[in-house]
Amino acid sequence: MAQDWKSFKPVLIPNIPDLAKIDVYEKNGGYSAIKKILTDDKWDSQAVISEVKEANIRGRGGAGFNAGMKWSFMPEPDGGPRYLAANGDESEPGTFKDRKIFEFNPHLFIEGCLIAAYAMKIDAVYVYIRGEYREFINMMDKAIEDAYKKGYLGKNILKSDFSVDMYTHSGAGAYICGEETSLMESLEGKRGYPRVKPPFPAQKGLWGRPTTINNIETLANVPHVINNGASWYKSIGPENHPGPVLYGISGHVNKPGVYEFPAGMKITDLIHEVCGGVRGNKGIKAIIPGGASTPPIRGDVIDGVTMDADGLREVGTLMGTAGMLVLDEDTDIVDVITRISHFFDHESCGQCTPCRDGTGWLYKLMSKINNGEGEMRDLDLLIDVCNKMEGRTICALADAACWPVRNAVERFREDFEAKCKKTVYAVA
Amino acid sequence: MPEIIIDNVRYEYEQPGKVLQFMLDQGLDLPYFCYHPSMSIPANCRQCLVKAGTPIVDRETGKPELDEDGNPKIRYFPKFMTACSLDMSDGMVVHTHVTSEEVRRAQADNLELILINHPLDCPICDQAGECPLQILTYKYGPEGSRFEHKKVHKPKRIQLGPRVVLDAERCINCTRCTRFTEEISKSNQLTIVARGDKNYPMTAPGETFDDPYSLNTVDICPVGALTSADFRFKARVWEMAQTPSIDITNGKGCNVDLWTRDNLVLRITPRYNKEINDHWMPDEGRMAYRQMNENRVSKPEIKLSASEHSKTSWNNALMTFVEQIEAHKPEEILVIGSPHAPVEDNFLLQQFFNKLGVSDTLFSPHITPGKGDDFLITDDEAPNTNGCRMLGLGEIDKKKLEAELKSDKYKMVVILTDDLFGRYEIEPSITEGKFTLTFATNYNATTKAADLIIPVTCSAEHTGSYVSVDGRIQRTLPAKETLYSNRRLNLEMSLSRLDHFGTKFDNWVSDRNRIDCIPAWEFLVRTAYEMNLKLGFESSREIMAKISDELPALNGVTYERMDEERGIQLDLKQIPAENVS
Repeated sequence: MAQDWKSFKPVLIPNIPDLAKIDVYEKNGGYSAIKKILTDDKWDSQAVISEVKEANIRGRGGAGFNAGMKWSFMPEPDGGPRYLAANGDESEPGTFKDRKIFEFNPHLFIEGCLIAAYAMKIDAVYVYIRGEYREFINMMDKAIEDAYKKGYLGKNILKSDFSVDMYTHSGAGAYICGEETSLMESLEGKRGYPRVKPPFPAQKGLWGRPTTINNIETLANVPHVINNGASWYKSIGPENHPGPVLYGISGHVNKPGVYEFPAGMKITDLIHEVCGGVRGNKGIKAIIPGGASTPPIRGDVIDGVTMDADGLREVGTLMGTAGMLVLDEDTDIVDVITRISHFFDHESCGQCTPCRDGTGWLYKLMSKINNGEGEMRDLDLLIDVCNKMEGRTICALADAACWPVRNAVERFREDFEAKCKKTVYAVA
Repeated sequence: MPEIIIDNVRYEYEQPGKVLQFMLDQGLDLPYFCYHPSMSIPANCRQCLVKAGTPIVDRETGKPELDEDGNPKIRYFPKFMTACSLDMSDGMVVHTHVTSEEVRRAQADNLELILINHPLDCPICDQAGECPLQILTYKYGPEGSRFEHKKVHKPKRIQLGPRVVLDAERCINCTRCTRFTEEISKSNQLTIVARGDKNYPMTAPGETFDDPYSLNTVDICPVGALTSADFRFKARVWEMAQTPSIDITNGKGCNVDLWTRDNLVLRITPRYNKEINDHWMPDEGRMAYRQMNENRVSKPEIKLSASEHSKTSWNNALMTFVEQIEAHKPEEILVIGSPHAPVEDNFLLQQFFNKLGVSDTLFSPHITPGKGDDFLITDDEAPNTNGCRMLGLGEIDKKKLEAELKSDKYKMVVILTDDLFGRYEIEPSITEGKFTLTFATNYNATTKAADLIIPVTCSAEHTGSYVSVDGRIQRTLPAKETLYSNRRLNLEMSLSRLDHFGTKFDNWVSDRNRIDCIPAWEFLVRTAYEMNLKLGFESSREIMAKISDELPALNGVTYERMDEERGIQLDLKQIPAENVS
């Protein structure tokens, strides 16, 4: 594990002015990975997939699945169309990293898509971007246009027999469309309802054809893997969760923002060294490490905890999207969780019963407690409602809605109890 | 043969399918709402959760690993699976609520969640009594609810279209209705709007749900969210008796159930028949219940003047008929059968006048080109066109019919239950100077023109066979009683009908809704008796036995077979196509 994070040079959003311009990007070694692949016979599609698999790029959208492995699930081409959908929906509260790639380094992402398309023999790439990111969609459109002009997209890319088209698609403000199967439904022009798996997208995805869905940041990592090799990539960060990560840090810190550092950064380093400490030098009450759906952890357990899959599992939470929310000691955790519950209640697509009605129930219970009208038994009821919801729905939104509530009740019980009425029930 | 173990019982199967469908086929019970065998599987109600697992297979040997007792080790899925979407595989083990307490809890939990936003006002809900949610909650649901907040409020009493009313609060978002318009009727008129617990089915803004199959969504709605604008709040389902019958408004012969109370048909719903209509039927056929109750001819009528008829006795009507027949030569009588009447009536009409020496019996098909679709609505608006063709009745169109009616050749016209004057817009004056007799169920333009009206039973009152456009012969069963009672006809009544409301065994039935009419064939049999013609039949069952003896196309057709096989597919080649005479 590389401990020298201070000497780490950002690769996903390096500090190069105007990198979003295709000339600048090319001057700085851009599009060399795709050129290498298309010219060198060594790089057939299998070689690319195994290199990416070897690099162990853990999906940056939250699930943390090995990207190369995912690519290898694509069936052999049968002559029909195959698709890559790049997931830039990014609507998880506390997550704001993909927009930096759209804004500062879109061509790196495009190149990543090209490599993925080459490896999986894909005909068309759809970039699904959160609808609120109107200006980033425009930037992305511009970047794609430039790439077409330079011959990096379209027919016979760089005079090879490899062709791929790329389109942006704007979301319409639904969180659920960031879930990969409902993203496909949304792309098809339908209501964003997650699909039942199996069949998995690799077998039956967009319009019933093999499809792979990757996060924007995941794809942006790919050109560096090809350029520098899997072993270089694995030398960054911990072995089990390597590579550079865009940490989106928000909340009660002095310098919130998106920072690129190796995976496996200590949470304390991120807060105190990178973000300039907690506002007003206060203590930390809680950390929500990877977006609103990841379980919050207490501020007193974060010492020495690293931001990677294994480190966070030890303290009972998840890496998620590395969109870390820092809450200082003055925070009303019940209020925070109420707000998060409201979000999931509002964003539940309404397809599965447990999530549709459960998220509403959770929110109503949370706001009852938050308003000081709750009773102690409501805390147990919260946990029980979570038990009814978790693992019983098509997609993971119900789980995501339950984790913050369940873990907050368990880990911050005294805060919840302080807000509850001290009702005494007569025992008959 | 591959096998699956459900609740510790082994079942063998041939074709791997979904677990839920297999269980239903085996007669096993599992609660579900969104699943429908004829539509796609969204697995969104999450009610049919089961604990399932597959045998652990040793990767090297390819054989299942065994535990100490020699039973295969099972690897259970980490989560409960929805049986509706779970593919069967050899050796799969499924535990339902019967053998797994966890599954029983999960099903009760799911029902508690469904019910938190569902109004608990079954006593005033139109669906009560035939509501899957109500039934399953009694069977599998929790005791009471722990939800102490305000329920989500949504629009109520929304007139989605001319025939369907939506109560969005009752909706449990199973999406059966939206899937129906998407996959079955293909009108795509319904979709789910809004998100989370606020969502409900709706049409696009400004659009009405006027799908010709819209009422099927009411049938498949597992709650009282979609109700029929026509039927809602008219009757409780347990007050009605159900009689199997067929749709007589078009040539498809959709299988239906007639729902009766006190000798009124209150609604018509489709009955499953895989060969014809699956679970569906067009809306038009459902509205046919009105003509079974309203505007009915009760007691024979004789024309006094151009605008006036007077009721008369059955005896007088019969004697008038006999007199008129005797007053005319056979070649002066024009006999017109009907594609709206059953095979038996047409056959007897043909036989009766054959015996009198009338050589030709005609009929005019009721076909409106372009009316049909490629689903359940046909161009043919009559249920028995092919039956008439099989009997060899001469086929005539409007022009030919008018010419025949006008012709001086004929002095007497006999029309079997068919509103020829109405549907062809023929002036009543055309038959002036001729004696016109019509058998009729309802008052219409033809009865207006007729000199003698014989009221006859409609398809809800008699048993009769109809041959569909696809050549399938099926029969109806009496669902309503007539004033006149025929023991043989009563015996045809389904058992459910006999011990239910509205028969004479029921003490609160009123005579008000019983029509004074008899089957057309019976009137002809009575006349034949009066005239000493040999035409002795006691029931339409006997007539069908005679027809199947005489007509090669109908060989072997009996009521028993029709009932058992849900209609018999006849050889279409034996049915003459449009033999224009």
